[in-house]
Amino acid sequence: MMKPIMAVRLLLSFALLASASLLNAAEDAKVDFGKDIRPLLSENCFHCHGPDEATREADLRLDTAESTLSVIQPGNSAESELIKRLFAEDPDERMPPEDSEKHLNDEQRQLIKQWVAQGADYQQHWAFVPPVKPKLPVVKNKAWIRNPIDHLVLSQLESKKISPSAAADRTILIRRATFDLTGLPPTTTEIQQFLADDSDNAYEKLIDRLLASNQYGEHQATSWLEVSRYADTDGYQNDRYRYMHVWRDWVIMSLNENKPYDEFLIEQLAGDMLPSASLKQQIATGFCRNHRINSEDGSIAAEWHVENIVDRVDTLGTAILGLTIGCARCHDHKYDPITQKDYYSLYAYFNNVPEWGVGPNNGNSPPFIDVPKSWPNISPEEDKLIEPDPLVLTNARKEAGNGLQRPQAGSKTTLMVMKEMDEPRDTYVLQRGQYNMPDKSEKLSPGVPNSLNSAMAKQPSNRLELGHWLTDPANPLTARVAVNRYWQQFFGVGIVKTSENFGSQGEMPSHPKLLDYLATHFIELNWDVKAIHKEILMSATYRQSSNVSKKMSQLDPENRLLARGPRFRMSAFMLRDQALAVSGTLSDTMYGESAKPYMPPNIWKAISNNKYVQDKGENLYRRSLYTYWRRTIPPPSMMNFNAAAREVCVTRTELTNTPLQALTLMNNKTFVEAARFLAERILNEGGKTETERLTYGFQLVTARQPTAAELKLLISSLDSFSKKYENNDVDAEKLLKTGEKPRNQSINLTQHAAYTMLASLLLNLDETINKN
Amino acid sequence: MTPNQEHALNINRRYFFGKSATGLGTLGLASLMNTDLFAEKKQEPERIGGLPGVPHFAAKAKRVIYLFQSGGPAQMDLYDYKPHLKDQFGKEVPKSVYPDDRKTTMSSAQASFPVAPSKFKFSQHGEGGTWFTEIMPHLAKHADDICMINSIYSEAINHDPAITFLQTGAIVPGRPSIGAWLSYGLGSMNEDLPTFVAMSSKGSSKQGQPLYDRLWGSGFLPAKHQGVKFRNQGNPVLDIYDPAGVDRETRRAMLDHLAKLNQLKYEETGDPEIQTRIAQYELAYRMQTSVPELLDFTQETKQSLEMYGPDVNRQGSYAYNCLTARRLAERGVRFIQLFHQGWDHHGNVVNLLPKQCKDTDQPTAALIADLKQRGMLDDTLIIWGGEFGRTIYSQGKLTEKSYGRDHHPSCFSMWMAGGGAQGGMTYGKTDDYSVNVAEDGVHIHDLHATILHLLGINHKRLTYPYQGRSFRLTDVHGKVVKPLLA
Repeated sequence: MMKPIMAVRLLLSFALLASASLLNAAEDAKVDFGKDIRPLLSENCFHCHGPDEATREADLRLDTAESTLSVIQPGNSAESELIKRLFAEDPDERMPPEDSEKHLNDEQRQLIKQWVAQGADYQQHWAFVPPVKPKLPVVKNKAWIRNPIDHLVLSQLESKKISPSAAADRTILIRRATFDLTGLPPTTTEIQQFLADDSDNAYEKLIDRLLASNQYGEHQATSWLEVSRYADTDGYQNDRYRYMHVWRDWVIMSLNENKPYDEFLIEQLAGDMLPSASLKQQIATGFCRNHRINSEDGSIAAEWHVENIVDRVDTLGTAILGLTIGCARCHDHKYDPITQKDYYSLYAYFNNVPEWGVGPNNGNSPPFIDVPKSWPNISPEEDKLIEPDPLVLTNARKEAGNGLQRPQAGSKTTLMVMKEMDEPRDTYVLQRGQYNMPDKSEKLSPGVPNSLNSAMAKQPSNRLELGHWLTDPANPLTARVAVNRYWQQFFGVGIVKTSENFGSQGEMPSHPKLLDYLATHFIELNWDVKAIHKEILMSATYRQSSNVSKKMSQLDPENRLLARGPRFRMSAFMLRDQALAVSGTLSDTMYGESAKPYMPPNIWKAISNNKYVQDKGENLYRRSLYTYWRRTIPPPSMMNFNAAAREVCVTRTELTNTPLQALTLMNNKTFVEAARFLAERILNEGGKTETERLTYGFQLVTARQPTAAELKLLISSLDSFSKKYENNDVDAEKLLKTGEKPRNQSINLTQHAAYTMLASLLLNLDETINKN
Repeated sequence: MTPNQEHALNINRRYFFGKSATGLGTLGLASLMNTDLFAEKKQEPERIGGLPGVPHFAAKAKRVIYLFQSGGPAQMDLYDYKPHLKDQFGKEVPKSVYPDDRKTTMSSAQASFPVAPSKFKFSQHGEGGTWFTEIMPHLAKHADDICMINSIYSEAINHDPAITFLQTGAIVPGRPSIGAWLSYGLGSMNEDLPTFVAMSSKGSSKQGQPLYDRLWGSGFLPAKHQGVKFRNQGNPVLDIYDPAGVDRETRRAMLDHLAKLNQLKYEETGDPEIQTRIAQYELAYRMQTSVPELLDFTQETKQSLEMYGPDVNRQGSYAYNCLTARRLAERGVRFIQLFHQGWDHHGNVVNLLPKQCKDTDQPTAALIADLKQRGMLDDTLIIWGGEFGRTIYSQGKLTEKSYGRDHHPSCFSMWMAGGGAQGGMTYGKTDDYSVNVAEDGVHIHDLHATILHLLGINHKRLTYPYQGRSFRLTDVHGKVVKPLLA
């Protein structure tokens, strides 16, 4: 496997970049342990000389300063055992050993040697040290600065002698911000109003309007639903139905109400334990029940009970702490200071739910509550915690020799929630992570890893205290992980690219001070999510044009330096919602049971024993976050565009660019029907002349006017489509029958078909499917 | 491969696609792939993508056709012959051989666990004398090409975790499937079709256990490595056909204008991703031709159609999928996986099992023969098997005429053919009851290691960094089973 530095070199040489590498700072500068050395030690050495005691060789660990100093003489690399071993000629002496499949190249070994020669300054891993608000660096181009974010971005650009890009056009800006905050395109009226507003704070007013819209909460919920592995089915084998949409509604409401992020987390982890808890706070705990539940006949309940809790712990790690805690399930973590005992101490927080390891045949698994019929408009009297019914087990087919017991099932009107048992279950380390191999020599109490608790003396004793511990300002990770995910959403890549892993094997932040500024500022703002979103969107960094020179695109293909604005393909959810919105068919109904829009025929039946029954009418046009999510057969057109599968917590999916995406956008019923209605809109609202109409249609999808060259191409394509459907009513009829919503018969058939193809072309434009 | 390295390769592909999209031809690929970047190891010249240095050594197999028998076929009724059990009919399987804690909860509460000897006759075939059941007569004729393994064992006792284990090397979902690993490591051998195709068919014996998209998923690998599911009814590939009322000429006109508009955008923004997108639309257009052509059996001779049996022209049948598999193999698709449902015979094995065999026996045998006559068996690895075996004790009532069998992961049978697997041999032995491995056990991780080996891959070296560590198909286990290699 190639190491990152090598790969960068390869990339550069491959791209035949003649100029000296701008990414590599001066060679003789002081080596930065955190940035340069720790990743090398982690990748190549920690496996045998790291946190895991069981596999540690020679009683040496290189993940702590103390032990590392036993093989180093700071300032004297020649006399340092570590350096001798790295450079040893004898294969028996050399580290890493041949059979480890690990390899340090010359450059990397020299770097370590240089670090020792410079005094071997060893620091704790950055992410385990609480963030400190940085001082803003001095920059030259002060005129460019709009807020502290820009200071921290620009100072790095100036150190590399790179200029930021010009501000984006206002049409691009309104489209970008509207998509980023609401997941929808701006309407033509909104564009006109914004362009006509020449006040100094026109852009700020735009942002405030978007933050206050109902669509904000819907869009921001989407990424949290993926993180929370929210779905409408249980996820194994027959993939039984469950009912969790009330929890989804709670997420949307909370985001629209701008519930502070600390409360947002505490309520989801332990809303049921809050003093005089409300029903809404209890509903929030559905977060901890979103994991898959196995209901396959023949299963062993004790085995799958463990998997439920493991999923809660792993989700806590990935979603909130940005740590691969799950690695410590079977053994001590190989790279981060999390022992197997730490893992099961975290497990103990989630092990006291009166649940059963196997689910019922369809329906919610206990504990669940009956949600009042008035939801989501519950009265203050109704907003009180409901005591879930106790678990009842039945053994359906005992006479046939079947030993499986199942719990009672919750109906459509119920929601799975958390509840503490009066007597907590005993928790032990499970050897090798096996449900039937507890190490009964030591009973564990709930607790958080000591390595993350340095600034806080007391161990949280239950789920609620765990929630408070996570959102304590001294927690090194929670705020950083949150703001990083916001950044990732707006810019495509997080400041820490590995948004799921801030540990030793994660990527270093591209802008450590920016990350710490945002994290500390977020806490200062009392975890005000809308405020931190606004701060990011108000920055000059965000407002840059995304156009890129060939040189910069080769030098910085992922825009990690932020010398330009974000440009990347939109999510599956945004693409479908955009098509519905510009065609005027999008429903603005919020909340409720999941909708079942168009799917390929027999989507479920072809490979499973269930049948997808598609909805009719308005439910075909609901926003995509309401689309029914069957875990084992997720909506294929969404999966084509890299939606998360909702099996486990996922904080990022990569953005692919494939032929199957082209097929979806060209031929999928949803998008062809949207093209039909986009065509109707263009013909009804676009004006009298062809030029006016094409301009209008182009503006609906891109927010801007076409250039002369673009208009010429649009006219020429419309001509070719018109020729095709002239005197060909049969084909025109066929095309206009795609989808269930009937067409407006008063429109000329040929014209409608030709404009439908033109509209389809508009929906397939690269600019349409990208946030620019 | 690190993400940066992946990016370098993407750029490489992008150049290729960019050129082909703007009409400069597609010939540049081989030369581009052979730049210094890849000097480490010479690659198959026709290949697109894949990792430098992979394969690690000369491969015996270029492609795989994996015939997955979903539900868990009963090993003692098909291949693992236990003649002496006739005398044990109805006697208890000793607890020392089969402890209660290894039984599923579906039968664990039975009062008795009586031995149910197979009702089917067995005979030996080929020079190696491989045992076959009487209900696989066509397959038995190919005994000398078949590498029978009777000592496979798994760790999962229920369908979902067991099939997920076979497909991804892990019981809990989230890992890439075998085909996705191969796409990632070895890249593609064709331009107009996906490199990993999955197909499914329903068995005649009973409603099958469900399948899930993750079985051909890419897990944490980039999504482009996931299998493309050829659907068993309607459009074979999702949205492959133009909407009704749109002909190819209109589609072409639309694409030409789209490409020009996108090109203008590229010139303005400089985003190289636009070039890729233009190329992907072209590839989609080509797929719209190549997929229907692939599934058009009218070019097949009468003899070859007959060979696969009467179901061959019925979309969604196992026979149809077997012939499609051969046609995919001819077109350079790397990993082709069939799933045939319906082997989960908790009761009435005597009536149900022959139906499953009737579905699959002739087409499977035809596939072997067909590949052989085309000279493709040598470099095509065929794999046959389910997610686990079945119990020797009867689930439910045992009678002279009927028995059921519950899930059994501790030993079961699979076989391989072609692609460097040693034909005409039987590997591994089970105990007297077909309950435990007695000799030469082959764990699922070992099977995976062996499959990768035949494809020229050291299973320990095909890794992907995810969540801070290097993952591989075989986790931290697996050894190549050398005696299975030709």
